[in-house]
Amino acid sequence: MSAPDAGPHTGQCLCGQVRFTVSAEPVGARMCWCRDCQRIASGSATVNVLFPEEAVRYEGEIGRIEMIADSGNRVERGFCTGCGAQMYSKTVEPAGLPMRVRAGTLDDPELMAPTAIIWTSSAPSWAVLDPRLPHHPKGPTPRNPK
Amino acid sequence: MSYTGRCACGDVAVDIAGEPIQTRQCWCRQCQRIAAGGPTHNAIFRAGDVAVDGPLAVDSYRAASGNTLTKWFCPTCGSHIYAQSSARPELKTVRLGILDDPHGLRPQMAIWTDDAPVWALIDPTMERYPQQPPSPVAPNA
Repeated sequence: MSAPDAGPHTGQCLCGQVRFTVSAEPVGARMCWCRDCQRIASGSATVNVLFPEEAVRYEGEIGRIEMIADSGNRVERGFCTGCGAQMYSKTVEPAGLPMRVRAGTLDDPELMAPTAIIWTSSAPSWAVLDPRLPHHPKGPTPRNPK
Repeated sequence: MSYTGRCACGDVAVDIAGEPIQTRQCWCRQCQRIAAGGPTHNAIFRAGDVAVDGPLAVDSYRAASGNTLTKWFCPTCGSHIYAQSSARPELKTVRLGILDDPHGLRPQMAIWTDDAPVWALIDPTMERYPQQPPSPVAPNA
């Protein structure tokens, strides 16, 4: 799936304690307005760039917390223990879903623009949702097997 | 009016006694790094009006203004709770996402829009500053 020239893409938290490389191209990008995401993202949607989990390699001290997401999935979210930058989210159960790297931690946050918006049902009334993108009131429809 | 809030895991709670002086969204590159790619959304209160209960981790950096910006976050889930500028210790900048609904607050202005990614959509009805706006001033208590 990965092109021969895929990556590496690089990124880091705000303080530089956590760094990462990604040796694949993104398989998607989307914004998530679920209420948990708004709490960890200072009131915004999280903006996520999706990669195969095995292509993402982190270095540094990461705080990890597992929660049951609004989707019902068991999700692990990682953040830098030094500066609190949100780094990633990955689904522990069910397995096999792409890892969501937080776009703000990529050295190129424009690597892939969001292609869908999820959990729009919990977005605040003032949120500006791009009308050109698919809107999902809840989680994404599970049609992308990558 | 008062506001309550909590981080994503619930370890940190906030209780706010007053009204915000200003609400705004910040697209500076540092905010994008901590806020998962979007802007931070902030409600600026008098420091004395904001009570925080729970463990906090802290980090600071030198902002483009030359001021030191200090940010407090939950050490368990990484939710950012509030920030303060060395230039304005009388204010606390509370992250909007932690406030319990319905709180009725929304951003009045977008700042540091020069740093926003090309895919950002910014409400055209909001006041907009390409970089730092004029400092908010706390009215006399």
